[in-house]
This record gives sequence, structure tokens and C-alpha cells, in this order.
Amino acid sequence: MAFTSLYFLIFAAVTVGVYYIIPSGFRWIWLLIASYAFYLLSSPATFIFLLLTTATTFLGGLYIGGVNRSHKAYMDAHKQEMSREEKKAAKAASQSKKKRMTALILVLDFGVLAVLKYFRYYLQAAGIFDTGELLIPLGISFYTFQSAAYIFDLYRNKIEPDRNIAKFALFTSFFPQIIQGPISRYDQLAGQLYEGHRFEYENLTHGAQLILWGFFKKLIIADRAAVLVNEVYGNYTEYTGGVVFIGVLFYMIQIYADFSGGIDIARGVARCMGIRMTHNFLRPYFAHDLSEFWNRWHISLSHWCRDYIFYPVAMSKFFGKAGKSLRSVLGDRVGKLFPVIIAQYCTFLTIGMWHGAEFKYIAFGLYNGTVIVLGLLLEPVLKKMTGAITGALHIEKQGRLWQGFRIVRTFFVVLAGRVFPKAVSFTAAVSMFFSMFVPNRGTPFMETVLSLGLTGADYLIIAGGCAVWFIISFCEERYAAAAGTGGIAAGAEAVRNRLDEKPLAVRWALLLAAFAFVLTFGIYGPGYDAAAFIYRGF
Amino acid sequence: MREEVMAILTEIRKDVDFENETKLIDDSILASLDIVAIVGEFNDTFDVEISVEDLIPENFNSVDAMVALIESAQE
Repeated sequence: MAFTSLYFLIFAAVTVGVYYIIPSGFRWIWLLIASYAFYLLSSPATFIFLLLTTATTFLGGLYIGGVNRSHKAYMDAHKQEMSREEKKAAKAASQSKKKRMTALILVLDFGVLAVLKYFRYYLQAAGIFDTGELLIPLGISFYTFQSAAYIFDLYRNKIEPDRNIAKFALFTSFFPQIIQGPISRYDQLAGQLYEGHRFEYENLTHGAQLILWGFFKKLIIADRAAVLVNEVYGNYTEYTGGVVFIGVLFYMIQIYADFSGGIDIARGVARCMGIRMTHNFLRPYFAHDLSEFWNRWHISLSHWCRDYIFYPVAMSKFFGKAGKSLRSVLGDRVGKLFPVIIAQYCTFLTIGMWHGAEFKYIAFGLYNGTVIVLGLLLEPVLKKMTGAITGALHIEKQGRLWQGFRIVRTFFVVLAGRVFPKAVSFTAAVSMFFSMFVPNRGTPFMETVLSLGLTGADYLIIAGGCAVWFIISFCEERYAAAAGTGGIAAGAEAVRNRLDEKPLAVRWALLLAAFAFVLTFGIYGPGYDAAAFIYRGF
Repeated sequence: MREEVMAILTEIRKDVDFENETKLIDDSILASLDIVAIVGEFNDTFDVEISVEDLIPENFNSVDAMVALIESAQE
């Protein structure tokens, strides 16, 4: 059931309506019924895998929580008479038990993901296992990563285990997020799901606004841009120069509109029921460098990788020692950075492979990791260069001009990497990248651009849609900068909150205008199958 | 100890007002690279073992929280 289908809108409306009608104590049960119904309607054949991950993670979580509890009870009773060594030994014994169970659950959860998503073709080709009939379970990457985060957090004693398997089943299957996230943390989401929220008008209006905004991005911008993107990436050998660049540029627009639009719809449906899901995008194309970009793009995955891959690797004793011994060979600075460099590559390889096993995804991860690592290694040189350039041009480093340049530069760095994941293969990606620098051949540029499946009116609608989106993002960005505290997240709802302050007539006029705009210019309806969300496939 | 912690922090991030900031993590003022560098320095300077399990926002949101973390790691 696609988010952009009429069925989904009816399904969501009925779910929200019933949610507020039934007594608050039963609302989580209704959400579980709705979530499982959604899954069974969307992907019945793979429902068993969701159940399997839910059950193993729940039971493993109970065990780890039990170890945490007994360790705490033992320490509370004997702490005073224990020496530092004895305390360390008791902690190590408890850690060892937790480590074994964590490893077992992760092998089971990620094992299913690996077999069904990554190794299926290899297993099939080798004749070991016939995976031909097996579908990739809907949302498997999302619910597996979410379940793994739950286990890691229990291992780190950050949370208490869930003692109700039905409630936990809701946490792993909550229908707005199962298709494409965000990957929520247990301590951030579970309590909200289990609590029966009171009806609040603001939640309904903000939720509806988010859904409408998601439809705007998806149906007006993403699905229209998709026509050109599919043409250029699908027939890349026929195009060179500016045309390939336009194809990649439109993919930058499409992927952002598609993914963030889907997230807005998911967050909007949840918000209608008073559930606030984590942000997944905070105006990523306003990032000043690639690290910041990944802190604004698909945030729930980036932060998952930061907490469960980057930190453990960067702070591991093994890589710390390796870095120390390498200091004599590579120098003090590089030796110190060594664990961080390894951690960056592990992080970006995971982000790349999260999309799929093909080499083009690995290359996408390696590209991003390498740019960030080079930035770290060359930091002193780059700082000197920046100083020299801004000094020679008499530009303030913190001024708008230089900061604007950094934003544009980061946009192009991201754009170069976007060649990989969409291309049909790694070699196609490399070929496309270099063909951008080959002059356009044959047909004049404008004539070619107008023959890529979009009319002049389509280009105007995309440009208009992007202009509205840019203005809203720009206002949010300015609000975040002015807020001082709250960081980039501060601006996320600034425009919506401003809208609340307007008279009722103005609000409704704007909303109806947006609704009419989506109805008129959205790509949808009978005879047109709205393109599936890109991240649904991951 | 607080002075030593302040010295380490300002050495790593000169641009941050550590005296007054109380949401260093919640407001994304400190990046992951800063945290790794800070923990490395704490472990070396105070002979403690701050591990990944200690990496929760409450332990790094302010100077005082970091001092408390080091003190509990020394126990």
C-alpha cells in the first residue's frame, strides 16, 4: 500500500479516527492491529520475518535486561566491601554474558537481512538455496536497524527492557515508519506509542500540514523529476556534458523530495495521533561541509551509524593502540587520527551497503568516507588555504559570501557522489561522471533537454515547487541561526508555528491553495501509477 | 579537576563557550570527532576508562557533567 495511494489515505484516516474514539488504554492495541493490518495488506508473504525479528529481539532484550538488573542488585549489596579490581571483575562477568546474547540476537536479525537482501543472488547462483520465490520483506532494513538499536541500548544499560511482547511488536511495526523510517530509538518512540494521546486540534492540523507538504514534494517535484532522471540514467551512453549534469542535478532534487516527502507523510500521520517521530532531514543542502551534510541527511541512519559503529570503532582499544604504534611511522597527527579514519570508513561502508550489496553502493560509501577523511588529514593545509584566499579577497570567513560559497561547494561534492547509487552499475556511474566533462554533442543542448520526457511546463512547475521549498527552508535556516540554542533542529517547525499565528482565514486559504496545487499539478490518478518511493526498496 | 577539564575542552574547541553551555550535545555543538578527542584526552589525563557505554548526552552536555563522569569513572 503506497503512501500516495487513496487506499493509504483512507487507511490512515480510519486509523486516526478510531484511535481517538476508543478509550485511551486501548489505543496502543488499536495501533498494533492497524500496523499489522498494514503490513499484511502490503507484504503478506514476508510478515513471518517481521514476527521472527520481533520475537528474537524481545526475548534477547529480556535476558540482557535481566543481566543488567542482577548486576545492579549485586553491586548495590556488595559495593562497599569490594575492591576496585573486584568491581571490575564483576562488571566484566556481566558484560561477557550480555555480549554473548547481543551477538546472538544481532547474528539472527542481521542474518535474515543479509540472506534476504544481500546474499540471495549469490546463494541462488551457487545453487545452495533457491531464493527465487523469496521477496525482500517490506521495511526489513528499517525494522532490523531499529531492533538492533534496542539491543545495543540494553547492552549499554541505557534503557529498561520491554516486558510486553505485544507492545514491543508495535514498536517494531508502527505502520507510518515501517516503509522508509525514520529509524527510531526505543527511548524516544516506545513511550509515545504506548501512551493514549488526548485529542489536540494542533496535532491534527500540524499532522495534516506535514502530510500535505509530503505530497507536495513527492507528487509535484519528485515524480516529475523522476521522468528526466530515469531517461538520463537509463540511457546514459546517449548523453554527455550538460545533459548528464542536468540528470544528476534532477536526481539530487528527486531523491530529496521523494525521501523527505515520504518521511513527512509518515511523521504527519503519526503527529495526527500526537506521536512525534524523530526528524530525518534538516535542510541538508544548506550544509557547509560533507560531515554536516550527513548530520542533516537521513539523520536517523547517520546517528545510528555514529552511535553503534563510529564511536565503538573510534574508541576501541585495538585501533587506539594501532594508532599509537603508527605514530612513529605516520606522524603524531595521522597516528592520532587513525582510529577515527577507520571508524569513518566503517560508517560510510555501512551507509553505502545499507542501500544494497552492489559495488556501486559500496563506491558511494567509499566516496563519502574518502572526502571526509581527506578533509581531516588535510585540515591544516585547508585552513591555511582558506586563510590565504579569504585574506587575498578581503572576505570575512564568517561572512555570508564565504559561508554561501561553502554551501554551494558542499552541494557539488554531494552531487558528484549521487552519480553512483542511481546508475545502473559502477562502471556506468564512472562513465556518467566523466561524460559530464565532455561537451554536449549533436543536438543543441536546449533541444535535448526538452526531449527528456518533460515539457516546458513541467520544468516551470518543478522550478516553482523548488522555489517554494527553498524559501521555506531558507526561513527555517534563518530561524535556527537566530534561535541560538537548539541547533539546526530549532528551525524545523518555525514556518509552521508562524503559520499558526496567522488569522484562521489566511491559514485556510494557504492550506486550500496548497491542496489545490497538489491536486492540479501532482502526478497521480487513474492511468498514472505514482512512482514507488525510492527508499521503500531499501 | 574542573580547570584541567576546561583546559582540555578549550584546546579541542576554542570557539565554544564551555562555561555557559549546558546543551553541548542536545544542541549539536560538539561533533562526534570532538567527543572522540575529548574522551581520548580524559582517559590519558585522568587515567580512567570512559567507554562507549558512557557516551550518552547527559554525560557531555556541560563541563560539570563531564567532571562528574570522570569522578565516577575514577571510583
